Amino acid sequence: MNPRCRPADHLSRRALLKGALATTAGGVFMNWGDLFGSAAHAKDVAKEQKSCILIWLNGGASQFETFDMKVGRPTGGPLRPIQTNVVGAQICELMPKMAQQMDKVAVIRSMRTSQIDHPGGIHLMHTGYGPSANVRYPEIGAVCAKFLGREKPDLPNFIKISSNGDAGAGFLGPNYQPFGLDHDGRLPQFAVSNLDPKIEANRNELRNFAEDSFALDRKVEVAGMHREAYESVRRLQKTLKVFDIEQEWAKHRDLYGDTKIGKGCMLARRLVESGVAFVEVGQSGYDTHADNFAGHKGLVPPMDHAWAGLLTDLHQRGMLKNTLVVWMGEIGRTPSINNRSGRDHYVRAWTTVLAGARIKPGIVYGETDLDGKDVKDKPVTEGDFFATIYKSLGINPNKENFQGVRPIPLAPFGSNVVEDLLA
Amino acid sequence: MPDLNPMKATLHCELVFEGAWTTSVAFLGSGRRLAAGNREGVLLVWDLPEQPTKESPAPTRKLEGHTNAINRLVASDDGKLLISASHDKSVRLWDPTVEPAGSAEVIVDSEQREREAKKNPKGAALSKPGVKIATQQAQHVFTGHRAWVQALGMSRDQKRLISGDDSGLVCVWDLATRQQLAKWTGSPANWITSACLSADGQTAFVAEFCSPRGSFDRPPAQVRLFEAATGKETLDFLKVLYPNVKVRDSSYGYATTWGQFVAQGLVAAEFSPDGKLLALAQGGETGTGKVHLMEVATGKLLRSVSGHQSGACDAIFSADGKYVLSVGRDTTLRICQVADGKEVAQLGKPRGGQFKDWFHAVALSPDQQWLAAADISGRVYVWSMG
Repeated sequence: MNPRCRPADHLSRRALLKGALATTAGGVFMNWGDLFGSAAHAKDVAKEQKSCILIWLNGGASQFETFDMKVGRPTGGPLRPIQTNVVGAQICELMPKMAQQMDKVAVIRSMRTSQIDHPGGIHLMHTGYGPSANVRYPEIGAVCAKFLGREKPDLPNFIKISSNGDAGAGFLGPNYQPFGLDHDGRLPQFAVSNLDPKIEANRNELRNFAEDSFALDRKVEVAGMHREAYESVRRLQKTLKVFDIEQEWAKHRDLYGDTKIGKGCMLARRLVESGVAFVEVGQSGYDTHADNFAGHKGLVPPMDHAWAGLLTDLHQRGMLKNTLVVWMGEIGRTPSINNRSGRDHYVRAWTTVLAGARIKPGIVYGETDLDGKDVKDKPVTEGDFFATIYKSLGINPNKENFQGVRPIPLAPFGSNVVEDLLA
Repeated sequence: MPDLNPMKATLHCELVFEGAWTTSVAFLGSGRRLAAGNREGVLLVWDLPEQPTKESPAPTRKLEGHTNAINRLVASDDGKLLISASHDKSVRLWDPTVEPAGSAEVIVDSEQREREAKKNPKGAALSKPGVKIATQQAQHVFTGHRAWVQALGMSRDQKRLISGDDSGLVCVWDLATRQQLAKWTGSPANWITSACLSADGQTAFVAEFCSPRGSFDRPPAQVRLFEAATGKETLDFLKVLYPNVKVRDSSYGYATTWGQFVAQGLVAAEFSPDGKLLALAQGGETGTGKVHLMEVATGKLLRSVSGHQSGACDAIFSADGKYVLSVGRDTTLRICQVADGKEVAQLGKPRGGQFKDWFHAVALSPDQQWLAAADISGRVYVWSMG
């Protein structure tokens, strides 16, 4: 199996067909409730053309080496803060470019979440819910694809570039499954046809003819779904130019930084500009149980460059007001520095960052105590975080669907939108 | 100079230096004087007791000025010159023999006090006065570095100094005039992890490394010799070791190949006294933690010795060039014969079996009579070799 082509990460022809059939079967058991009855709402949102880019720091970046420094304290570490373009707000010296973009972001220093390990944390911070054997929660990307995406799009509505998270579309079904790209934005092999276009067209005609004949005396929707699955892949063929970024990359390399994450962030902007509802760009390596400071010194600067470039680019194109940029990993890191010069997992007090869409720019929300061991003020749970994200994108976080008679809101019950973060 | 006899090493005393990782150590001449620095930028001097003792002697002097971790210390044979390299982007030059300028109260047993206070919350453990000791400032600050200075080396003739930082900048300094003789930069995004000068100061060794930044943008490590006065490259060790591997800025394959040799960066380097060999220590968290002995003339690997599980931190040659001494994350100090690579002594048992934590730095007095290791738990162990 091609390691770049995991089934959960993309929509292959076969997976799409299987998924379409599974969805039909699923309809027997599941009541999709308001989700499928929300066409009017989805249309309203689509008018605003909101979209979301998630910069995913896999492994869990340290809040102490990014946005919540504790200099001079035993938990502080050797890195030092720098001033930003927001008065009173300091961030780590590893992020000089983001220091000049602080007037565009809202830093949440008071995250308190519930899953301390990677699998649970990755699921939690992609869905808002802890892993469950009974419910297949959809990732935020799938929710955005559902509520913000275009119908029958040429491009998939949920794209992942070198990123993590295996919840996928969950109960939303295969139409909202993520489409995975390689780490430098290359399309997976299945996305490009090897056939001569004439032969491909003839083959499609023959298939359509067979399907139409099959559907004439049958009432099931399988034939239609089968056709739609092929159509979506064929529509993708028309958009391949979007993924060919080399020409534009030459112009924007300095803005984003000549790195993997830089390229990913530029492609994310390009995809959102082309109508994709949700793009996730991943950077791995933050699980720094050993050599945390060296690790962050290697990872953060290219990320800083790419992220700052993305915000600058979105701003200059007038896209930031409708594009939410989320910066997070699955966990934070411990205040204590272990004897491997590392920091371990920590979820009692850590940091995420939002920018764009309805997010109030240039603010720092919440506070941790002197050593960063606990939230001192304004704790934000994963539910609050997702509720705020959804609201900033114009999606009702309380929108429910049903598993049997069990209602499942987009953000967990009891979540509160952090209104102070919204403009 | 007496021969070094590794079998005679006897623990002489244990210096308590709590509060932050003890990261660096150097003997000040052949007497019983020693300097050690820590991760907070505190730099202290001790006068060692004549007789072995279980009591920890108090420091006698504080060298003030650094504001962040002290990574490396080097000292002249007469003990009149001490040079320190720091995360605070500076290299400082001290004469620890001058009259002190002031005094300060220093607490070196903060963790013991905290433990005592936990047992007896009503006691005065935390409010007890510290030790009042003399203070002095640096005689000179070498400026120009733009990032953490992790690499530092002095020529054996004690005329030149080399320093390297995490922006990839290498500087060669003339110690008499304190002027910069040369500077050059390595690969973009690389850090200078170790640097040293040949005995006459004419040849510079520089190792570069950077932690992984992503699977295709990982810059290659560099392990090279230069003309110290000009920065002109004279030998690339990796090209000698891996002649068939093409160097590309974005080559993951190349990175994995050189990774076997470089591990997570060559964090310590020293020329042998005769200038024929280089000792290079594999650092970072790595399984092997070997010390490579390289032939300077050919660039070939003579042999790899020692082996600190989880990584080496420091390596030096004995003054007679017969031994290489190394310390690492396995909490041991190992002494190996250069001639055949045989390990002849191991001080400490692996992984906390005897001493508390990583040995971050090692020093041998110029007369080979004293040996010291800095333990990150806030200790400096001193052995008598006589």
